[in-house]
This record gives sequence, structure tokens and C-alpha cells, in this order.
Amino acid sequence: MSTTKTKKVSSQSRNRRVSLGVTYAILIVLGIIWLIPFVWILLCAFRCDYQPDGTFIGRVTSYFIPKNFGFKNFTDLFSATYYGVAKAFPRWMLNTLIIAVVDCVISTFLVLSVAYCMSKLRFKLRKPFMNLSMIIGLFPSFMSMIAIYFLLKSVGLTGNPAHPEYSVIGLILAYSAGAGLGFQIAKGFFDVIPNALVESAKLDGCTNFQIFRRIILPLAKPIIIYQALMSFTGPWMDFIFAKVIIGADNPSYWTVSVGLYSLLFGTHPDTNLFTQFAAGCVIVAIPIVTLFMFLQKYYVEGVTAGAVKG
Amino acid sequence: MASKVNKAPKKKENRLRFPERIGKAFSSFVKRFVDGSLGTKLSHFIFGAGNFYHKQYIKGLLFLLIQVGILALMILCPSINNTPYGWKALRNLSLKNVSEGGEFDMNTGTMLPPSDCKLMILFGFVTIAMIIIYFLVWNLNIASSYKADMDRKVGKKPSTFREDLQDLLDGKFHALMLTPTCIAATVFTILPTVFMIALAFTTYNQHDMNDIGTNLFHWNGLQNFRAVFTGEGSLGVEIHHRFLPVLGWTFIWAIFATLTCYFGGIILALLINKKGLKAKKLFRTIFILTIAVPQFISLLAVRNLLGQYGPFNSLLMDLGLTTAPIGFLGLNPGDSESLAKVMVIIINMWVGVPYTMLMTSGILMNIPSDLYEAARVDGASTVKMFFKITLPYVIFITTPYLISSFIGNMNSFNSIFLLTGGGPAYPGYQAGGTDLLVTWLYKVTIDQHLYNTGAVIGIMTFLITATITLITYRRSKAYNEEDTFQ
Amino acid sequence: MKKVLCMILAVAMLATLLVGCGGGSTPSVPDDGIIRVWVGEESAEFYQKICNEYVAAHPDFGYTIEVKGMDTGSVAGTISNDPTAAADIYTVAHDNIGKLASTQCAKPITDEGLIDQVLADNPESFQSVIYSTLNDKTYLYGVPYISQALFLYYNKSAVTEEEAQSFEGLQAAAQRAGCKAFTVTGDDGFNMSFALLARKVSDHSTTVKIYEGAEAKSGGSKGVSNCQGDDTVAIIRWLQAFAADPNGFKWASSDGWDADLDKDNQGVLAVIGGAWHYNTAKAALGETNLGITLIPTLTLTDASVAGLTGVSAGDVYRGGTFADCKCFMINANSAPGKYLKEQELIKYLSSKDVQNASYLECLNVPSYVGASDFIKQCYTDGKVSESQFNLAAMQVAMAEWGIPQPFITGTLNTYYYSKNAPAVFRAMIDQTAYPTTGDQILTETTSLDGIRQGLYLVEYLWMHGVTPDSFPASLPAQA
Repeated sequence: MSTTKTKKVSSQSRNRRVSLGVTYAILIVLGIIWLIPFVWILLCAFRCDYQPDGTFIGRVTSYFIPKNFGFKNFTDLFSATYYGVAKAFPRWMLNTLIIAVVDCVISTFLVLSVAYCMSKLRFKLRKPFMNLSMIIGLFPSFMSMIAIYFLLKSVGLTGNPAHPEYSVIGLILAYSAGAGLGFQIAKGFFDVIPNALVESAKLDGCTNFQIFRRIILPLAKPIIIYQALMSFTGPWMDFIFAKVIIGADNPSYWTVSVGLYSLLFGTHPDTNLFTQFAAGCVIVAIPIVTLFMFLQKYYVEGVTAGAVKG
Repeated sequence: MASKVNKAPKKKENRLRFPERIGKAFSSFVKRFVDGSLGTKLSHFIFGAGNFYHKQYIKGLLFLLIQVGILALMILCPSINNTPYGWKALRNLSLKNVSEGGEFDMNTGTMLPPSDCKLMILFGFVTIAMIIIYFLVWNLNIASSYKADMDRKVGKKPSTFREDLQDLLDGKFHALMLTPTCIAATVFTILPTVFMIALAFTTYNQHDMNDIGTNLFHWNGLQNFRAVFTGEGSLGVEIHHRFLPVLGWTFIWAIFATLTCYFGGIILALLINKKGLKAKKLFRTIFILTIAVPQFISLLAVRNLLGQYGPFNSLLMDLGLTTAPIGFLGLNPGDSESLAKVMVIIINMWVGVPYTMLMTSGILMNIPSDLYEAARVDGASTVKMFFKITLPYVIFITTPYLISSFIGNMNSFNSIFLLTGGGPAYPGYQAGGTDLLVTWLYKVTIDQHLYNTGAVIGIMTFLITATITLITYRRSKAYNEEDTFQ
Repeated sequence: MKKVLCMILAVAMLATLLVGCGGGSTPSVPDDGIIRVWVGEESAEFYQKICNEYVAAHPDFGYTIEVKGMDTGSVAGTISNDPTAAADIYTVAHDNIGKLASTQCAKPITDEGLIDQVLADNPESFQSVIYSTLNDKTYLYGVPYISQALFLYYNKSAVTEEEAQSFEGLQAAAQRAGCKAFTVTGDDGFNMSFALLARKVSDHSTTVKIYEGAEAKSGGSKGVSNCQGDDTVAIIRWLQAFAADPNGFKWASSDGWDADLDKDNQGVLAVIGGAWHYNTAKAALGETNLGITLIPTLTLTDASVAGLTGVSAGDVYRGGTFADCKCFMINANSAPGKYLKEQELIKYLSSKDVQNASYLECLNVPSYVGASDFIKQCYTDGKVSESQFNLAAMQVAMAEWGIPQPFITGTLNTYYYSKNAPAVFRAMIDQTAYPTTGDQILTETTSLDGIRQGLYLVEYLWMHGVTPDSFPASLPAQA
């Protein structure tokens, strides 16, 4: 009796160990596949290979691991003149940082205010507003892009030769203006906050503003962080809208993603720039990934709130 | 819940038919004019008059300012880039009184610029928006005065400006909170969208216009849509031949991308959350790298990695698996379109699977463990438990996500644009073999400036996504039982 | 009081925005004391320096100058999409002149000193393509300052100098190396001119005509075009065979033509490109391996002349090129007050001295007559390297095998911008149908009839901008 039992237990634990081993194996293989492209970009960024006659090799090469390592790509990237803009890369980084910070503040505020209204307040135009925002969201964004450019241009906020820097304001406006309509995820989050909290505060004589500030906002920290993270990282990732709004002719005020993308696909006279592109990618990716990893918890909360609630 | 039961019949009562609503609005309008004080009557002509009458000076002044502002705009017709606003903009909307420009004086260097048709349409729409706003404010100003009348009648003092402001923080809090978004959405979303829709009925197409040497365009009614069926002109050729193939591939792509990422994500989440597995956090971190790293970096890395002379092809050749480089992504002429399609779906998993993994991890942990215990007692195998318990549970909870991710994948610009660029190209057309509706739209509008073609594609895309969304959204619980969640 | 403040804010903002910025009847383009110049990205720094020097030397000039580098390939599209946002002076390839002039993105040039300089300095071929019409009057629109033509870059370590003189030689070298012989940097009309404009070596003749005798006015006659001659058919057939050959012609890969050329990859041994590809080609091959020569010759084979009367096997043709010039133009939307100074500036920037300096600093090959003497002098003085000298010398030499890209005055260069014609050309070389999907106009391009139909189609596209409904019963026929 006892022997059969121990046999069963040991076979069970052996089964478990085998299945755990298989899981490890699968995960490790998948993990390697997942990492290869990133490792490759990292290797390319530090590649410092020369042809026998001394020409630097900046192109994609057929070998994976560089023969020599060095910081040349990074030093070149920070000192090079691209599109006639001296030290363009640091400028692009700074532009993006400014745009991202301002956009982050405005967008987060707009999203929260709209989501709160839609979730916790009842008023006449609520349903029409929600329906309209949904319908508008179904139009592909490329349709409105060019019109936004002409609108901004007609008030001098882009395509303004006398003040090329105004394009940055135009882009911030364009980025954050649409943010309010993307309230669904935050609304899903607010919906979960019990209405009873709001009702009881009302009985205590709180105004809607006080309820928002004292009760809702403290509870909304995860969604605030989620929205802030999304709107902050947005400008670092977008390479189409930014180029349309700021303009192909205004490279001094490009964002870093537009700049990096152009290094690879523009008709820059020296297309031997892949390793510099890789170096730029590393510099852009490191802060974003760090930020993301730190705030991962909130990100998960955000996507789950949005996805499951719908 | 009880309150909800009470609410329901009331709601129905409020829901009037459209003609009834019009009738009601009209009668209340007449009533206001007849019953209202002198101030209210005057308000019909001079904004804010009623408020002045009730000594609400600041509010009255604000109304008056708006009236003066809009009327000034309508009459003075200020112009930007030689294109006027105001009544002239309305006249210009016809695109009839346009000038080719070009009168040139070599002594002064002046040259008369041609009319800017796109600005004419844009400013025409802005002016129409101003007129709509004018009448909305007109109505508000009468209502405001009439309300003060009523307050007086029952012996209340009309609200002061300070009280109005305070009300904004409470009763009208939504007005305060929604105002910025309303303005921004009108200017940056609704107006541009309406403008682009309008372009579908014009000849605004940089290629055709350059071809005949003009920068003027005009309205051409439904001809663009007719051309879609007949295949005439540059617009017709493009859309007539390429719309259905692109639409078909967009659907295939969306279905496969959604399903692969969805089930891949669930499986990955199960693997990572396996009991007894160590280094869970490390694995998670590795997989969500693809979410954290901007896609133009990660996808371009893959594209170059798989390039003709990239490391992957050279590895395959070193291993003797192939003799010539394989064009995985359809970037070169003659590359296989099917291979490119398979590749983008596979690579998209690399980006999309971790997303589902993150989302379902939480759900998996919340599955009541007694469900599994009971199954185990019944002697169910792991596989059986997955299909009988885990999967139904997860699918049940994440159905809304499946729908939204399907729509999301239909519009997944980056995965296609950065990997294949829509290739392999079809000589003679803008849309290549792997182009989705959205990347096609990009090429046509942003890249080639064929605006009327883009607008037609955009409208057709909208109609399709709107239909899908309406069908699924109307049926979803989230829409119908919104209040029960709270 | 429903959402009163919402509305107030909305309207107040809109109204101030519109009224404030509209500013009544003020002129839309104020003269702000700055002349903005767009040049090719590669030479932005150089021209900014030159302009600064000019302003410093002429205190009475009265304007500061801002030079910006633009993507040369797309700049014309950027300008015509939104001319009011373009610079006061911009530079484009000459074949855009018709398009930019007719859509009133450009202002005529009337300064007599400048016109005299243009007429005195430039070869006749350029002089005939820099005019356009405005209200039925012909004006000078573009001022040439860089010449552009195609030539051959090849890998010296795998191809001998003699082999590089003919496509057959390249093919032999490619057989040795086990790769393709040559590629092009793009499949548009300009790059494919090497085949289309190929000329018989013995008498420099070709039957190809593009808009010959076109009327210099908007809507005028498009002149005569022909690309259906037997020589063209034979060359297409030759190129078809060459493209099908494992050691022949290859379209540039998506990794970039320079990745093909890279001596480690050895996808091809040579590339037909222009001076603006110099740095990239050098990076791919290394300075010592970088060979530069004329576009090679081809010898017609028996198969390529079968059934044709105007040509015979053994005829030798040299690959041709469009010999273009890049020009300064003035934006029509530029403030009138700047007009005189803009012309003064262009006169300086297009002067021989500045063109020479731009060759030395940016390898821009000058466009003026007699530039080759200066280039030679630079080489003997040791101011430029051998490959830098070769580049300029070969480009100048190619000019005698080429013509400037023709365009119909008053409209765009349909030859180039009607993207369909290059697409047909490509389909013929790949021996596929055209278009590859949808209602096929050409079901095959392998047979003699198919090629003739394809060439008819190309010619028709040049002349009419659209595809024909049907083909004439017998070809060749005037399209």
C-alpha cells in the first residue's frame, strides 16, 4: 500500500519536474528569439569595423558579431551634421523631450477630465458625446493629418519660415488635442470606483470639483501614471505625424524618431549610417525601456482595465 | 439597482421622436419670445441684452463680445495667405470664382498668386462652424436671460457671475471639464475629418493637377466614386483594381494577427505562470521588451536582420539551407508575396504576443482554483483542463478585447509599413501586395499627395470599420448594460 | 445658462485666433529681411558659408541669408504641395521647371545681367530646357549651377579597366566572381535612361525622340516622340536576356544598391549612378577599389535582332544618359521686395567661381561650358583625388552621349513623373505582364509583338499621360 503510494508520488513529482524542465526549455528558446534583434542592434551600435583601406563600415553586414567594438558611432552621432543641422541628434533629443513632457501634462489632464465626466457625471449630451467620439475614432488618422497641417499653417503654427520653432507648439497642440477623445481606458477604470463613494460625498455637501480632487484623483493614481506613460512615450515613437506637422523642410525641429527614421530612409548622401542609426536607437530605447519597466505594474493595470471592460 | 428600475420607464418617456422634438423646441422658442421680459426680447437681436437688463453685466458683456467678434469676422473677412474668412469664404466654397493668378510685374517683382482652393474649402468650413456657434450662443443668451426672468418671477435673484463660476465647479462641472476637449476635438479632429471627406468630391490630386499644369481644383460631385466602379482616371485605376485585394488581405491579416497573438499570449502566460517556475520576472521582462521599445526601432531591426545581405540570410547560406538570399519581406521585385504575408504575421507575433501575455496573466491567476481541484479529482489531464476550464474562462472575460484588437490590427500601420513597406510592389499601382488599407492610405495621401484618392479610400475604410464596430459594439454588454457595472 | 462658459471660451478662442492672426488687409508675405535658400542637403553647409561671405562683403545687400539642406529627390513635390511654405530661392533638377512654372510656384527671372550670365556660361542643351511660359510669354525660370549625368562605378578588385568598357566584359568578370554584373540606383525614368537612350557608337545615333519640337507654351503641341524604333526593340531584348542571365543585370535590392555593390557582399560588380552617389559608392568599395568610367557599350546579339530590319547583330551601342542640370529658381510666393536681391544672389551663386568652389568642397560637377578644363587643372594641381577627378571627367564625357531630360513647357516632365511609363519599362525587362494585376493591358512582354506593344504603351503614356484603350492593328505606329 505504502510503496504504491510513494511510487505514485514520485512518478507525479517526476512528471512535474519533466514538465517544468520542458517549460524552461521552451521559455529559454523563446526568450533568445525575442532578444536576438535587440542584441543585434546593440552590437551594431558598438560596432567599429573598418575596411582594409580604412573606410568605416556603417552598413548592415552579413556577420552578426562585430570584429571590433568602440564608441565611434555614438561620438559621431552626437557631433554629426544631418540635413544641414549641426549637432542634430542632441537637438532632436531635446525637442522630443520638450514635446513629450508638455504633451504628457496636457494629455493626461484632458483624458482624466473627460473620463471622469463620462463615468461619474450624468448630463444631457453625454451619450451623443460618447457616440461621436467613437465615430470620429473610426476615421483613419491619416485622413485628418494633412488638414491639421494646413489649419496649423494658416495660423502660423507650422510651415512658418520666420518662426520655424512654432512648429513645436503646433505639434504639441496636434498631439494633445486628440487625447481627450481617447478616454475609454480611463473611463473603464473610473467605472470600477463605486458610485456609493461619490454619492456619500455629495450628501456631505462636496461639489463635483471637490469630489474629483479629493476622492477620485487619489484613487486614480494607477490610471494617471498609465496615461502619463502613454502620452510621454508617444512622441518618442511617432515618426509619421511629427514629420507631416513639423515639415520635411524643418529638420532643426524634428523629433528624434523622425530624425532616426530619416537617417535610414532619407536620401542622405551618406547611406553608410546604419550603425549610427543603431546607436541612436540604443540612446532612445534605454530611457524609454527603463521608464516602462519601472512603471510596468501601472501599464498592466491600464491595459487590463481597457481591454476587459471594453 | 432599485433606482435603475425606476429610471428605465422615465428614459423612454423622454425619448421623443424627431419631429416632436422639433415641434417642442419651436414652441418653447416662441414661448420665450412672447413671455420673456423686454431684456429677453432684445436678446434675440443683441447678445447679452437680457443679461444687462438683469444687471448680469459680465455675462452680458461676454455674450456681446462673441456676437461682435463673429459678426466682425463675417463682414470684415480677414484673410490668411490671400484666402478670406467670413462671407467671402462661403462664396468661395463653390470653387467657382478662382483665379489662375500669374499677373507678373518684372519691375516690382510682384506676382499675383493663384487661388488656394484647399484653403478656400478649409476656411469655408471654419466659417460654417462659426455660424453654427453663433446660433448656439444666440440660443444660450436667450435661455440665460429667460432663466433670469423666471428666477425673478418666483422671487429669486438672478445668479451673479460669481455664482455662475461656482456652479461651474459643481452642477456644470462637466462643462468646465469638457470644454478644452470639445474645442480641441472640433478644431483638430472633426473639422479636418470633414475637410478630408469633402476632398473625395473634388479633383484635388497633385499628380493629375501637375499633369495639366494647374494648381486649381474643383468639385466633381460623385465622379470619383463612379470612377471606382469604371476604373477611369488615375483615381479609378488605383482603387478599382486594388481595393478588393487590399481589403481582403486586410481582413486576413487582422484575423490571423488577432488570433495568433491572442492564443500565443495565453500559452505564453500559462508557461510563465507555471507553478514552481523560477525567474518569472526575468522572463516577463524579456518578453515585454517588444512592448517597451519603440516599434520603429524593433521592427526596423528585424527588417534589416532579414535583409538580403543581413546576418540571417548569411546564416541560412552558411548552414547550406539555401543557396541564394531569400527575400523574406517582399522588398525586392520578384519576391514571394505569400512568404512576405506569412512573415509579417509571424513577426507581428513577436510584437503582439507579450501584450496578450501581460493582459491574461492577471486573469489566469484569478481563475478559482477549486475549478482545477475538482477537475483534478475527476482525473482530467492538463491539456483537457486547459481546453475545458482555462480557455473558456479567459475567452469569456476578454471578448471585448478580441474585438478591439481586431479593429486595432486592421489599422496596424507600423507592422506593415516598417517591415514590408507594402511590398512586393505592383508596377503601376501605389498599393503593393502586403499593403493594408491604412498603409495604402498613407502612401496615397502623405507620400503622393493624391488627396481625392485618399479621401475615397478613407471613406470606404470608415464605412467598413464602422459597420463591424456597430454590429459588435451594439451587441456588447459594455454598451447595453453600462450602468450595471457600477 | 447651459454650458455658457464652454461656448464662450470656445468662440472667444476661435475668434481671437482668427481675427488676431488674420490681421485684415496686411500683405500675406511680409519682407522680413531674410532670404531663405533651399539647396541639396549635401551642400547646405557650403552654400551657407558662401552666402555669409557674400553678405559680409556687400554691406548694402540688406538681407541675411538662411540656407537649408533639402532632400533633393522629393523637394519638387514638397514645393508643389505647399508652395507658400517653401524657401525664397530653391533648387531643383531642371525637368521640374515646367511643372513648377505652370502651377505658379516659381517666378520668372528678368534681371538682364543674370540672363546674360546664364546665356554666356551654359551649353545650348541646357539653355533649351530652362525656359517656360507665363501668360503666353516666355521667361527664363531656372539658373543652372550643377550638371548631373549617369556613369559607371565599378569594383576594381574584380573588374579590369578593359572589362569595364563593355557590358559583356562586366558579364565575364561577374561569371568569375559568381555574381551579377551591374545594377541601377532606382527604377525610375532617369536611371533607366542608360538603356532607353543608348546610342550607336559608330555614329552616335538613336531613333528615340522625346517631345522634339514641343511648343513652348502651356497646352501647346507636345511635339514628336518615338521610342518604337528597331534599335530600341533590340536593346530591350538585349536587356531582357541580360536580366535573365545569372551574371547579368539586377535591380537594386531593398538593402540598398550600395549593399549590392559592397565588396564583402559582392551582389554586383558595378552600378550605374551619378556624382551624388560618390560617397556611398566609396564607402561600399573603399577608395582604392572604386573605379569610375563611362557607361559601357553593348553588342547586339543574333537573338536580339531577330525579325528586325533596322539593326544587325554585332552593332555596338553605348549606354546613354539624361544629362541634367540643377537650377536655382525663385519662389513665386516670395516677397516682391526681395526680387532684385534674390536675382543678385543667384547671379553670384551660379557664377563660375562658386561652381568651382562647390566642386572642390562638395563634388558638385559644375554646369558651365569649359568646366572640364578647371577640373583637369585641379587634378594636375593635386587638389582632388584620382577618383574625384574621374567622377567629374566621366560625367562631362557622358554628356556627349546624353540629352537633358525633356519636358513639355507648361506641364510636368511626363516622361519621368508619369510613373506608369517606367513601370511598363520595368515589366518589359522582367518579361511580365503589365499591370501585374487587374485589367492587364499587356498580357506578355516576351514576344516581339509584346515588346512592340509595351513600347507603344510607353510612348502613349509620354504623349497622353494615360494608357490607351487599345493597340493599333499594326505596330510600330505613332502613339
